[in-house]
Amino acid sequence: MSHLGTLLLKEERAVFSSPIAYATVAVYLLLMGYTFTAVLFLNRTGDLVRVFFQAAVLFLLIVPVVTMRLFAEERRTGTLELLLTAPVREIDIVVAKFLAGLTLPTLMLALTASYAAVLGIYGDPDWGPIYSGFLGLFLLAAGLTAIGLLASGLAPNQIVAAVAAMGVGILLWMIDTLGYLLPDPFDRIVSHASLVSHFTPFATGAMFLSDVGFFVTLVLTGLFLSSRALARR
Amino acid sequence: MPPLIVAEQLTKWYGSRLAVDRVSLEVEAGEVMGLLGPNGSGKTTILRILTGYLHPTAGTVRVAGLDVVTDSRAARARVGYVPEDVPLYEWMRVREFLAFMARLKGLARGDLSRGVAAAIERLELGNVRDLLIAKLSRGYRQRVAIAQALLGDPAVLVLDEPTNGLDPRQIIEMRAHIRALAGERTVLVTSHILGEIERVADRVAVLLAGRLLGVHRLQADGLDRRLHLRVRGPADAVRARLERVAGVRAVTIETGPGPGRYLVETETGEVADRVAAALVEGGFGLLELTPAPLDLESLFLQLTGEGREAVR
Repeated sequence: MSHLGTLLLKEERAVFSSPIAYATVAVYLLLMGYTFTAVLFLNRTGDLVRVFFQAAVLFLLIVPVVTMRLFAEERRTGTLELLLTAPVREIDIVVAKFLAGLTLPTLMLALTASYAAVLGIYGDPDWGPIYSGFLGLFLLAAGLTAIGLLASGLAPNQIVAAVAAMGVGILLWMIDTLGYLLPDPFDRIVSHASLVSHFTPFATGAMFLSDVGFFVTLVLTGLFLSSRALARR
Repeated sequence: MPPLIVAEQLTKWYGSRLAVDRVSLEVEAGEVMGLLGPNGSGKTTILRILTGYLHPTAGTVRVAGLDVVTDSRAARARVGYVPEDVPLYEWMRVREFLAFMARLKGLARGDLSRGVAAAIERLELGNVRDLLIAKLSRGYRQRVAIAQALLGDPAVLVLDEPTNGLDPRQIIEMRAHIRALAGERTVLVTSHILGEIERVADRVAVLLAGRLLGVHRLQADGLDRRLHLRVRGPADAVRARLERVAGVRAVTIETGPGPGRYLVETETGEVADRVAAALVEGGFGLLELTPAPLDLESLFLQLTGEGREAVR
């Protein structure tokens, strides 16, 4: 098994040996179940647009809780010293932690797919926006995981990591409103950094390659900076 | 054979605090080198640089000819490391943890299971191999940490305060494990307890405030340059006679049971014959002549005293 595979397996075990994983999945499903039921009975339409936005907002709050322990916990217990003195590459450690951090949001999305299945059984939904919405949520979760990973690598403890990642995520989510107050070209720059402006097309069924590129860039930047943070010692 | 570990002008700053100050050190293959110093003297920082966990601000460290910064992965593959607080994944079982560490060290399939089994046998972990690490006593945790360090058969074993937190029986067992490892591989061990280093190390490097005060060989010529004498005769005449012997550096009249006790400090370990001959030729009664090895405690106090003066 490669170092990445070995590290990923260990990270997955660490994620699922923590009660945080089960608590966050349970809370997410409870809130999403409530949202889906309420929206379905109020609107009586076969789409998931509101569900996707609700999931995105929950991700802004939940993903930092999942990612906060990735580096901060290892630093607290000292096991980071074991990892970094083993003959493995820092980028393997970072990527394994990123993929493990993304596992829970992916699992949550997979369980959210049951709502689409309900729509499919009892109605005739337009599947395009549903597929693109799930892809958008996955990319958003990946971006937030990369931000959370970086915060965990830099923060002195888990709570600071979670609060910092939440703050950055929420700021990037709503930063487009700041664009209205700024002159050209700053308004465009700020709008381009907005998570909501890149997520909205996915949720409404209009996919653009530039939006995919934005989230991929966010992930790669997060991984690169996390790797640099790990190397700075 | 060239030294296995070579540190040259090693320096580490933590912000504005100097933790290691131009330390140069060589460790031969197969020897046990002790790093001795009070807390905060830079021992752990030196080990962390050697193991690749920290990067030096200046200077270099080479392990088996590999620079720990530029050839970091290859150098790390040659070092087994047991950090001070014995960090382990508490949610793993002992064998699972060792298998995980073995994979990180590049062992696979047959080598992996053989390596893990050998480490379990060597550190006598057979009866706890399926237990959660969180359930282990401090002594067993220390053994698990050493077992993981031995995986991959590294040339260098680095142990940071390995007897910390152990009870007396566990300390004796741990010393036996460390001594058993000596000879097979190079061992670098730190402690702030003089007796621990004295019992396990071949040589000791004394550190204070990040500076290397000196490196001394234990249980060999380096520390037996002092002689206890019991001589019959007038004290002043005996002293004067002793001071004239070539190679004698200082003579002290000792207090103790009975008169005629002297402590003679010499420049080499081979002055005893001349001292004995001079006393007999001078007509004094030589009643006793025994080497007085400088105990590590005296050496440490002497060096750290000098070091403090130098630091001021």
